[in-house]
Order: sequence, then C-alpha cells, then structure tokens
Amino acid sequence: MAELKTFKGGIHPPYNKELASGKAIKRCPVPAEVIIPLTQHIGAPNEPLVKQGDRVELGQIIGSSEAFVSAPVHSSVAGEVKEIAEMPNFTGAKVKSVVITADASQPEFQKKAGKDLESLTAEEIREIARNAGLVGMGGAAFPTHVKLSPPKDKPVDTVIINACECEPFLTCDHRLMLERTEDLIAGARLLKKAVEASRLIFGVEANKMDAADILRAKASGLSDISVEVLEVKYPEGAEKMLIFALTGRKVPPGKLPSEVGCLVQNVGTAVALFEAAAWGKPLYERVLTVTGPGIKEPGNLLAAIGTPISVLIDACGGLLGSPTKLVMGGPMTGWAQPGTSASVVKGTSGVVALTADVVELGEEAECVRCGKCVDACPMFLSPNYIVQAAKRGQWDKAEMWGALDCFECGCCSFSCPSYIPHVQYVRKAKAEIAALRKK
Amino acid sequence: MASAGEFAVTVSPHIRSKERVSNAMRDVLIALVPVVAVAIYYFRWDAVINILVCMATAALTEVVARSVARKKITLTDYSALVTGLFLALLLPPAANWWAGVIGTVIAVCIAKELLGGLGRNYFNPALFGRVSLILLSTWYVWIGGGGFKGSINGVSGATPLFYLKSGALGAKPSYGALFLANPGGSLSEVSVLAVLVGAAYLFYRGVISWEIPTSIIVSAFILSAILGVDPLYTILAGGLMFGAFFMATDWVTSPVSSNGKLVFGACIGILVVLIRKFSAAPEGVAYSILIMNAFVPLLDKAFKPKPFGAVAAQKAA
Repeated sequence: MAELKTFKGGIHPPYNKELASGKAIKRCPVPAEVIIPLTQHIGAPNEPLVKQGDRVELGQIIGSSEAFVSAPVHSSVAGEVKEIAEMPNFTGAKVKSVVITADASQPEFQKKAGKDLESLTAEEIREIARNAGLVGMGGAAFPTHVKLSPPKDKPVDTVIINACECEPFLTCDHRLMLERTEDLIAGARLLKKAVEASRLIFGVEANKMDAADILRAKASGLSDISVEVLEVKYPEGAEKMLIFALTGRKVPPGKLPSEVGCLVQNVGTAVALFEAAAWGKPLYERVLTVTGPGIKEPGNLLAAIGTPISVLIDACGGLLGSPTKLVMGGPMTGWAQPGTSASVVKGTSGVVALTADVVELGEEAECVRCGKCVDACPMFLSPNYIVQAAKRGQWDKAEMWGALDCFECGCCSFSCPSYIPHVQYVRKAKAEIAALRKK
Repeated sequence: MASAGEFAVTVSPHIRSKERVSNAMRDVLIALVPVVAVAIYYFRWDAVINILVCMATAALTEVVARSVARKKITLTDYSALVTGLFLALLLPPAANWWAGVIGTVIAVCIAKELLGGLGRNYFNPALFGRVSLILLSTWYVWIGGGGFKGSINGVSGATPLFYLKSGALGAKPSYGALFLANPGGSLSEVSVLAVLVGAAYLFYRGVISWEIPTSIIVSAFILSAILGVDPLYTILAGGLMFGAFFMATDWVTSPVSSNGKLVFGACIGILVVLIRKFSAAPEGVAYSILIMNAFVPLLDKAFKPKPFGAVAAQKAA
C-alpha cells in the first residue's frame, strides 16, 4: 500500500474514538434556560438586539455587529429573555451573554423554501453565511463569510474540507459524514462556488474509512470532488498541515491559506452552510461529542447553542466515577472547565471527561533538552527555547524561536518527559510580544 | 449535578504521553546491562567494586548536595545512578576505589548539581568526572595509583589503541575480537557487540535517535581513511562506540535539532581521529565529546529549524 499523505512532525496520541464513533447523532433535550454568549467568534464583539423581558423566537437574531469580521448570534430556543449580563464563557473570560428562559414546549424549526442551490451566486452564498452566523466549527470560530472573501489578488483554486477530526475522542464530524453525507457534499460545493475554486478535496484520516467510502460513493459522479485518505496523526487537521499534506503547498509563517490558493473549512461548517442555504436555518444548534472515560453513555448530540455542560452530561447518562478533568473541545486544544456551568458555543466540538488514569497531573520539572518537542512540532519551532526565553522574560528571544508561529496544538507538551506546559508559556509570550508592539 | 471547582483546570493539552525522565534513565540503566555483564565476566571483582562504589557515591553525593542546597531530592529520576554507573564504566578495571569516589563526587557535585541539577549542566557529568580524574592524577599520583595516568583509556596494560599508536600492528587484536570481546581499556570498551545490543534497546525505546551516533561513526571512518589510519579499527577500538551511542547522545548535553545533532556528531568523530593521530594521547573520545558539549548552545542557535513554510517563502520572494 502506498504511504498515506501527511505532514512532518506531529504525534500519535491514543485516539479513543471507539467510545462514541458508533453512536448515531441524537437530539439533546432543550434546557430550561440557555446562556448564549453574544460573541462566539474571532473578531469584533456583537451588541444585543434584544432586551430583558423580550419574547424571542427560535432562530431569531439576538446579537450582531456592523464590523465585517463578526458573525451574528441567534436564539436557540423560543422563550423569554431573562437577563443580559457579563458571564464567564468556556475559556473563563467574561462575555456579554443573553440568558433565555425556554418555553416548556419548543417548536420544530420550519424549513423555508430557499433558492435553488445551483443558481446561487458567490455573493449570495457569502451573504447567506453571514446572515446565518456561520463560523468555523472546528474550534477556531472564525467568521465563515470572511474566509469566503479572499483578497482579489489571491484567487483560491482549491477548497479543502477538513474531515480529519484529528483530536482524540471527538467523533461528531465522523457522524456528520456518515449521517449527512449528501448535505455535507452540497454545503462543500457551495463553499467551492463562493470562492470560485476549481477543485474540492475532502481530507479524511484513515481511521474513518467508512466515512471516506460513503463520501466517495455519493460523490462518484462529480468530477470536481476528490476524497483523500490521510495518515492518522495529530494535528493532521491543522490548516497548514492539511494543506501541505493534500497539495504540497506551504503557507508561509504569518500568512493565510489564500496565500497558496487554498480555503479550508470544517465538516460541521459545510453542513451548516447547506442548512442555511437550503432551509434558511441560522446556526443556533450544532453536533458535538460528549465522551471520555468519565461519561456513562458517550455519544454525539445535536445541542442548542447555550446549553450548559451539565445538561449535555445528563443527556449522556451522567458522569461515570469521578473524572478529574472536564474539557470543552478536544483533549489536545480544549479548555479545562472548573465545573459544568459553561455553555455550548458555535465552536464547541465536544465535552470530554477525563479520569485520573488518562490525565496524569504531573509536576513541571526542569527541561532535560531531550528534543522531543522539537521533533514533534509540526511548525518546526523550538518549543524548549520558547519556554526558556519566556521563563527569563526575554520576549525578543521567544519570538526568535517562533512563539508567534505557534498555533498551540500541544504536541510539545504531549511529548515532554518533564511535563512542561509549553502552551502556557507560548500564550504568555504572545501576549507580552503583542503588548511590546503596541508601545 | 457537578458543582464548580471540582475539576482540575490547567492549560491544554490535557493528555500526555507516558514518557518521563525517570523512564528514560531507567531505560539507560537497562541498556547498560550487556556492557556491565561483559565487564563483570572479564574483570570480576574489579568491575563489581568499581560499579558499586561509583553508584553508591553518586546517590549519596546527590542526596547531600541537594540537601545542602535545600532542593527536592531527585534520586527517583535515576539520573545520579546513571552518572555513577557511566563513570564506573569509563574507568579501567585496575582503578583504585577512591578514584571512583573522587570522580563520581566531581561528576555529580560539580558538573551537575553546582550548575543547577539535571538539565542545567553543560558537560556530560560522567565524562567531566572521568577527565578530571586523568588531569588530577597527573598532579596527584596517588589518585591513579599508577593505574591510568596519562591515558584516557587509563589502562595499565596495552590497549588496542596503544597498538594503533605505537605501530605494533602485528600484535593488535583482530576486528572480530574488538567486536565480540577484547578485555583491554576501560570497563565499557570490552565488546562492541554489547554496546550495540544496549544501543538497539535505546533506539527501540526512543531514548536516542540515529543522528549523533551515525554522524560520529561515519565522520570518524571517513577521516581515518583520508589520513591513512585503518578506518574499521578506528571505529571498533577504544571508546568510540560506547561514546557514540551512550555518552554523546546524553539529552542534556547534545543539541536538540536534527541538523544540530548531525553537526555535533560529525565534529566529535573528526576530533576523535585528530586527537588519536596527532596528540600524545592514544584516545580522544572523552575529550572530543566534552569539547563539543561546550558548543551545544551555539549549535542549537546556528541550526535552529526553519519554521514551516519559511523556506518556501524565501524561494517565492
């Protein structure tokens, strides 16, 4: 067998996908109260369009911004606005949020007859993406319509659907590929059309051959689509790594994929674009995975944005034993939660409950210069020296060793025999370097 | 339902590999079993005493040094034991026990703990201790006791490298003997095969990578051939194999990047051949590695990996 396409560096963590990969997507009960952060994307903050006591309908827009780099937010329930307040989101940061008391009985979403998908223009697709509040649903939450508007001098010829789902444990994209194959392909073709690209590639990791097979079967008559199988390696789904693995093109440091004529979008985003274009449905709910050794019945849920973690866990049978860590997102890049009160946002790909045998809480020791972080870094940086510089407060040196090129995949810390939290030091360095530049 | 504050909150990633410094050090101890076994087989009590004295001294020295400095005792990372065992293996079987004690104290106390402990040391502690002994014994004869003065190999009898140096080629051991078992030189220099078996284990366990040993051996081989020295003899005799696989690969005192490792190893190989050929000393592995240890920070900077995409950017520009 030919060697599978991949990138250089990276790691092979235990994937533990089997916990949830066989579980069909089911709807999570709508909670009595949803907490919807008004700003869930990277970019300008939204302002509320509703006030306390207002009646809101399912899918009604409740927050937006005039700024281009932003995405509006919609209500995920029918109900009444209880309050609008600054509340901690999944990162612990305080974000203005709308708390909505949900009606006891919730309506079904009424699909609106949209335009014929084939007749949509690029501009119309961007408009649909913007109005539906689409963001990258792999975790970064960058507004989709912005990504669909590459600079005029940098035409995009290749659209890549990131179907790697390289984060351990998570299986929601896998399920979408199996259960929503046609919608996914339709959404992906809209993405391709929006940037007037000539080809569409699905990059699927080799641990999801069933998904690759069904995609190939359903796309067999479409000559512009190819389905490529990639090596199972983390972070195969990182934008730059994926572009390189599939096309051999290298996005230069500090540049965007459009620099090399590529656009990368996540599976969930493509499905959401289809729903927005075909049904007029805004992004107010998403599929996510609730899993880990600390969850009784791991599974994949379709959950309303604003659903608290506690409701997700209850929908999956509750906690099993006493997990030591609760992570929102994947275990490599997700955010550890102190409790179960944070709510689902557009970028939430899952909730993972880790137990003591999986998440060894070690003590940071001195770097022994083994070089494993350097070997693992997919960006070819020197994490050990970034940490050393950060410890000494030498921010210019931290930058020299690549702090700003780090996208915080965590391969360094995963490999480190001294249990050094490199990502923590990198974030500190990035903040300090940014502060120095402002001066 | 769960309440706030019951889960641990740390920065991602939330899963880690099982690799720990202590595991790697334990692997080194395991990898040294063949070398130790061969040494004990040929040198009997001389080897046993050397090894026990050095390992015990290393452990004791670390406990005392860290206690005095009010630091956490880190014996459980096995690094002191590794240093002690390495030093013992670098000594000739006839070495006095007190030479082992002095060398080990220097290795653990001065070369490692005084600089801040494991990870902060610039020089391979065991090699530093070994070379200190050689230098000290030229001034204080009682240390060497006539055993190993003036020779890195430090052997009272003729070593394989002595034959090479003196040109008494008729009496030199065969390649086969060097490879399998030739009890001359220090405890670690008896059998290349024993070294390779241990090294294979370290490769398998991911403790060492191919760059440093390969570049040392290849560069030494090539330069020997150029200078008219028997190249196969160069790499099989003396401490070259042991140094290449076990000493130069020390994490702390070798470069972190792949290219840095290659240059580091190549320079060691070249220095070994030059020292053996042009200096008064018959052996040069220890000196070569220590010299290159000093250049590690420079090599790391000079051979810093280019960030992903940076090369392409230059070409495009």
